[in-house]
Amino acid sequence: MLSLRSMILPALVVLLPLAAAVWSVNTSRVERADFTFNNDTEIESVDPAVVTGQPEGRIIESLYEGLVKLDPKDRLPTKLGTAEDWTVSDDLKTYTFTIRKDAKWSNGEPVTAEDYRYSLRRFLNPLTAAQYAYQAWYIKNAERYTLGGDGIEAGDRVEVELNLEASQHNTCTGELLRGILVKKTPEKMPEDEEERRGVIQEFLVEIEGSQRSFVIGDPAYGDVAPEGSELCRLVTLDFGEVGVKVLDTRVIEITLANPTPYWPQLLGFYPLSPVNRKCLETHGAPAWTQPENLVTNGAYIVELRRPRDRIRLKKNPYYWNADAVKLETIDALAIEDSNTALNMYEAGEIDWVTQLDGTVVPDIMNADPPRDDFNPFPQLTVYYYKLNTTRPPLDDKRVRQALALALDRQEFIDTVTRGTEKPALNLVPPGIRGYLSPTIGEPDPERARELLAEAGFPGGRGFPRMEILFNTLDQHEAMAELARKQWQRELGITVTLQNEVWGSYLNRLRLKQYDIGRQAWTGDYIDPNTWLDMYVTDGENNQTGWSNPEYDRLISEAMSIVDAEERLAALAKAEAILVDEVPIVPIYFYYSRNLVKPYVRGFYNNLQDTHPLSAIWIDRTQKSPNPFMNPPAQ
Amino acid sequence: MIAFFLRRFCWMVLTVWVVFTITWVLANFAPGTPFDREREMPPAIRANMERRYNLHLPAYQRYGIDLRKMAVGDLGVSFKMQDFTVNRVVAECWPASAALGLLALAFASLVGLLAGIVSAARRGSFADVSLMTIATVGIALPNFVIAGFSILLFVFLIPLLPPAGWGSPRAMILPALCLGAPYAAYIARIARTGMLDVLSQDFIRTARAKGLSEWRVVMSHALPIAVMPVVSFLGPAVAGIITGSLVVEKIFAVPGLGYAFVQSALVNDTPMAMGLTVLFTILLFVMNTLVDFAYTLLDPRVGWTT
Repeated sequence: MLSLRSMILPALVVLLPLAAAVWSVNTSRVERADFTFNNDTEIESVDPAVVTGQPEGRIIESLYEGLVKLDPKDRLPTKLGTAEDWTVSDDLKTYTFTIRKDAKWSNGEPVTAEDYRYSLRRFLNPLTAAQYAYQAWYIKNAERYTLGGDGIEAGDRVEVELNLEASQHNTCTGELLRGILVKKTPEKMPEDEEERRGVIQEFLVEIEGSQRSFVIGDPAYGDVAPEGSELCRLVTLDFGEVGVKVLDTRVIEITLANPTPYWPQLLGFYPLSPVNRKCLETHGAPAWTQPENLVTNGAYIVELRRPRDRIRLKKNPYYWNADAVKLETIDALAIEDSNTALNMYEAGEIDWVTQLDGTVVPDIMNADPPRDDFNPFPQLTVYYYKLNTTRPPLDDKRVRQALALALDRQEFIDTVTRGTEKPALNLVPPGIRGYLSPTIGEPDPERARELLAEAGFPGGRGFPRMEILFNTLDQHEAMAELARKQWQRELGITVTLQNEVWGSYLNRLRLKQYDIGRQAWTGDYIDPNTWLDMYVTDGENNQTGWSNPEYDRLISEAMSIVDAEERLAALAKAEAILVDEVPIVPIYFYYSRNLVKPYVRGFYNNLQDTHPLSAIWIDRTQKSPNPFMNPPAQ
Repeated sequence: MIAFFLRRFCWMVLTVWVVFTITWVLANFAPGTPFDREREMPPAIRANMERRYNLHLPAYQRYGIDLRKMAVGDLGVSFKMQDFTVNRVVAECWPASAALGLLALAFASLVGLLAGIVSAARRGSFADVSLMTIATVGIALPNFVIAGFSILLFVFLIPLLPPAGWGSPRAMILPALCLGAPYAAYIARIARTGMLDVLSQDFIRTARAKGLSEWRVVMSHALPIAVMPVVSFLGPAVAGIITGSLVVEKIFAVPGLGYAFVQSALVNDTPMAMGLTVLFTILLFVMNTLVDFAYTLLDPRVGWTT
């Protein structure tokens, strides 16, 4: 007879797991959505102010709507956003937006001008620490507001935010005191973060006739105010000084520092989406972002969120233009493995793959019969090597030119990226209307050797050993390896490879502890300025130590030019200086790699590789190629 | 028995504290911050970011804050999924890992035990040799190779199952098979060795001499003793398998903890990495304790003093 003892284990081993598995699957079962795509990763947040990535952008653009909506075809501004109309002053600096009457939040309440003021204030507020805050710095005094204590000087109107009450959520604003800054001690904070931590800055502010001294600190963390000072949460420029004014419940006026032709485009970009104040302040972070609490004003709302699995979007019935939204439900999957995504696409489980892996691109491109769902399109992204011009011999222009002229870009594309990418001979990617980039000229190893000899290194003799710095990733390593080989072959110089994890790689770029560093840069808006303003003297993202007064002058001059053509001409002149001086060696321009099922309509190729979900619909009856496969309209 | 569990509990608290401290030091002194981006930020914004993550405080103070929070079970908000607390991620992702792991384990135990018993009972036969060959191959082949083959076979050649995803019982079959296969192979080999060992002992000869059928001898007299090595293997294996597998979760897009854990370490998501490390430590400890407990059930010679 079998004893009880010997039965326990087999029973446990078999029954328990099955019960658990059945339970788990039953609680996680979902019906298939109208449209399913792979969003590549779990998004960082649905809070438009704190994120920067493309996966986040796809979700946030579906959930929220800015004053301006960008066209799904060419990504240029349209009046189909929350603002039904806007006017611009003659100096192109003051925009007045009128919000449409039927614009509503997903809780049914109207969207007002005050909502946008609140959201812009929150976006620019130093405590939000928005990565994209600089996108709104075109607004008058916005940058000074964001810089907090660093942005104010004696005599400025300032506001002091007191610490929150214990009952208040971290998303609330503390009591605000307004006054005039009398002085800061010390006047200037050290730039270095380590030193900065050791310095306590005191702000002496005159409020309603009496002078009070404030120090930033929170008693909840055990901070104690020095003798004669009070603790506060924040000291900034008075937000009233920033160029954002509510003129009426539905009218908001935004004043810019300079005429900025791409300002409406930036307003359509997702970081400037409005958030619902009541929702934030009632629930606090991160609770306000949960599907049951989240209030948005766009075409969709979040129905379900399962971390690392999917975000289920549902059509927002309160959206003013809900009639134009065709898909009832959308699933955004967070599959990180591109082969898995491709498998699911080929098996018909998903309708759109946003990124194909380089290893399969040649097969897809050369498929026979030709595929009806793959159509690469140029992107506003450039891959390049930065040269640290503070380190000899890279301080010699001829050496930099030699490095740039020696590289055969096509070989990089054929052997590493393996797609339709195009060789880059300048910084600004092609495709921007009205702008034609100057180039460094076709690669010419002969000329490169001459230049190197002129600089004192004939045949590479005497050239010091240099290092290519990149963040750890197979593709970057293959690129660097090829650059090493080509420079060795053409110029006779020796470079070594150095990979670092993301954090240390960025640190070394920032501290200029590198010789040659890899980078890729995507334009934030469709204008050459987004690349060119990086390389002004001491620009935060310059990091090459390169500086040219004429270049700086052209960039700042272009900012105030009202005439579009003249402005682009000034920018082209600046880029001509850049490609002549080569602080950076451009390698290639990116192409998109979407796979889109033929029955998907309303999906268009564009320079930003952005495809708003609210424009998409499914039509399985039409047999003609979808617009995605058609030649670009431009 | 209560003293046994109490003592184990004290050991566990100590172990968790040591593990917490070591990982805390490693995580907090690793290069980089959670807000490293390609675009450099002005020092004032950087300072604000640091305040938000308490990075402006001295290390000992941050350690104190983190330890106090951990002690009350508050693992904080993930740096990289800012909408989720680590507790919520664990609550949502762990069922997926656990369900998959348990299914894989059920499959592994069933197949492994059967193969092991058959092999031992028919030692030297064709069945024994072929089963053990398969087991050796099963141990040697990495997960992703088995996954690749099974996807080709069951998704594209014979379209029976979805290639990946989560949310239907059909989607669980392939990942469970791939996850369980190496375990099944191990269990088969361990069970076979254990069984052979027992079958050569005196009390088995006695049982046979009593005239019991071979089935009764194997199943009722030999098996309970022979599964002991399997049980000691299963303890840590259960902890390992239900906390998720990096490879299988990645290939089959299973929203589990295994991939989340590895990813958190790679992207400097300190709260997530810390929380999961502590959770896994507790799990491993509990599983080992349960294994010791199972010994006392299975083998009367083992007492509570261990």
